[in-house]
Amino acid sequence: MSDHASGPRAFADPVVDITDMYAFPSPQQSGTLVLVLNVFPFAGTAALFSDAVEYRLRLRPATIAPNHPGSLFAVGRKEYTIGCRFALPSGDGDSLVQKGSCTTSAGATVRFNVNDELGSESRGLRVFAGVRMDPFFFDGRKALETIVTRKLAFAAQGNSTMFRQNVLSIVIELDIARTFDPGDGPLFAVVGETVTTGPMEIRLERYGRPDVKNLLVFPKDFDTVNRDIELRDLYNQEDAFKLGPAYGGALRTRMNSNLAFWDSLDGKVDWPLDSGSAHPLLALFLSDFMVIDLSKPYAPDSYFEIEQSALKRIPHQTCGGRSLNDDAIDTFLTIMVNGGNGPRISDGVDQATVRASPTFPYLAPPEPNPPVPKAPEIVSN
Amino acid sequence: MHLTAGTLAMINLQAQIESLERRIEAGWTGIADKTTLIELIALRGQVRSRISDYEWAEAAAEKLARDAPTDPAAFVARARVRIGFHRFSEALSDLDTAHDLGADRADIDAERASIFQAVGRYDDAIAIYDKVATRRAEFDSLGALATLHADCGEIEIAEQLFDESRACYRNVSPFPPALLDFQRGHMWLEEGDLHQARIWFESALRSLPAYAAADGHLAEIEAALGAPEGAVARLLTLATSSDDPDYSASLARILKEAGHEEEAREWRSAAAARYDELMTRHPEAFADHAAEFWLEADGDRDRALRLATMNLELRKTRRAQHLFARACAK
Repeated sequence: MSDHASGPRAFADPVVDITDMYAFPSPQQSGTLVLVLNVFPFAGTAALFSDAVEYRLRLRPATIAPNHPGSLFAVGRKEYTIGCRFALPSGDGDSLVQKGSCTTSAGATVRFNVNDELGSESRGLRVFAGVRMDPFFFDGRKALETIVTRKLAFAAQGNSTMFRQNVLSIVIELDIARTFDPGDGPLFAVVGETVTTGPMEIRLERYGRPDVKNLLVFPKDFDTVNRDIELRDLYNQEDAFKLGPAYGGALRTRMNSNLAFWDSLDGKVDWPLDSGSAHPLLALFLSDFMVIDLSKPYAPDSYFEIEQSALKRIPHQTCGGRSLNDDAIDTFLTIMVNGGNGPRISDGVDQATVRASPTFPYLAPPEPNPPVPKAPEIVSN
Repeated sequence: MHLTAGTLAMINLQAQIESLERRIEAGWTGIADKTTLIELIALRGQVRSRISDYEWAEAAAEKLARDAPTDPAAFVARARVRIGFHRFSEALSDLDTAHDLGADRADIDAERASIFQAVGRYDDAIAIYDKVATRRAEFDSLGALATLHADCGEIEIAEQLFDESRACYRNVSPFPPALLDFQRGHMWLEEGDLHQARIWFESALRSLPAYAAADGHLAEIEAALGAPEGAVARLLTLATSSDDPDYSASLARILKEAGHEEEAREWRSAAAARYDELMTRHPEAFADHAAEFWLEADGDRDRALRLATMNLELRKTRRAQHLFARACAK
């Protein structure tokens, strides 16, 4: 389930729970980068953003470095941020209005009303925030069945767990030339975060690539060291660009075990462990960030292409990143199970409830008017 | 640490509930969502003092246990709801079933401990909570231990644990800290320190303005400290918005003390009717509050003693013993 309910903290308070992040060049406006950060899985249409959280995107210039000890990429220290904050709503009932603002590290600020479909724009920054239909698609039940039965359980026709579900979405369009210094890029590492506001900043969630936490950190049965510990909250609080040493051992063991499990599902080993007994993708997913090349045009199915090319030590061809209709989960499953050396592994779900549009704010309008069910009959004691 | 504003959190709680209801009705979801919905509706009931929400949760949990007789989560969910209605032996039986069906031992033990605490088996409860808090000193485990020491009357230890628990909080949801502050206020109220109690009830209300029980206790404190007008204003709102008779009962008492006999009689009569209704449906849950009502209202001492006795048989807590002693003394 991409990153839906990705840990006890997220489960307890969905308004901080990042469900997905997307990064892609605008399909219609060259020179424009689109960033999408979704939170609040299965949101009702009345859902609002927290006034105590900064919803943040961090971008750092990166270069491909196949021999880099951290991952396939060397990430610079220079950072561009876009932080969105929200106010207490005013009014009541149908006239309830929540205002928000987004500020970039370059100093641009845009103020907007939540759920205003047109969004607001200023100095090369355009922002929409509000309830939209969840663009993610994945048969989460079959993924769980795969983990429990230890056999690929996906059907030719799957059922998306997110069918007709809503999320709270932040959609940002950035003018690349006005946002980034000319010498930076074209490759950028991107991370989405929810962090507390106030004097003590605490990272509540982080997001790089889809389903890393729920498929690689959550399953405990394959972990031979810490089989009884939920590690996702610990994973979430780490800085993807600078991992701390405290929980590294536990997270490495957990992810290594789970990567080996996914690799085993086709009955052969496509990812032999390195000399240190680490799965070749371990470092990549441990310091998890999305990678996008801003010099390349929009491509509909470019997710993980840069990483795959870097692994093969060949030049990448696309912008990478992740666009809204990209079947990133099929790509992810295929990479994990057969390393691209076999047929494409599909979860049987190939598109969202409603496909994303090529124009702002890209995500489909929310599923309206949820029906109210009858209360169950009260059983006398 | 900033928290999400309580009004906003309540809007999102409702949005979450509506979305879950929609998914469940459409048949798209499994038992995890059903147990989550039961917990969220019970939480809404706890915040707004809506017994109808607890009853909805109870009915849904009963149905879930019937529909999913091999799923441990269904029995844990029903146990939690039964604990809310003080049906402790049935809740323990549900937890045994859940354990036999493979539920996580730590989760079951935490629920068992809350039952032991509620029935006054403090040593059994403390053995479990101590173990959990030693292994994982977190907001939940330290908070549970704090309320237990509070129930035991060990105020100094409880205060330290309340502080430690609060310092461990690493989220922005206002619900857990508001519920913890309420428990702390309740401890001071039981100790008779109205000023300390007020601090914590006000803190709970700052986090969660819709928190009816905190508002109700603040009204009682205001009245006791000589400000009945404010208390009446608070209680009028609560008595009309909540289906819990405690607010009508408090309002009747304060109005009577202020000399508004006729108005007091009306609210008292409404409270009495509602207590009777609830005693028919949920005798275990309302025996103590109904006994308080009949004691305070000075209307039916025999009934108060009968209910206080029933409550004491159900749980041997300090509060139940105190209530029984008061009923006997009258």
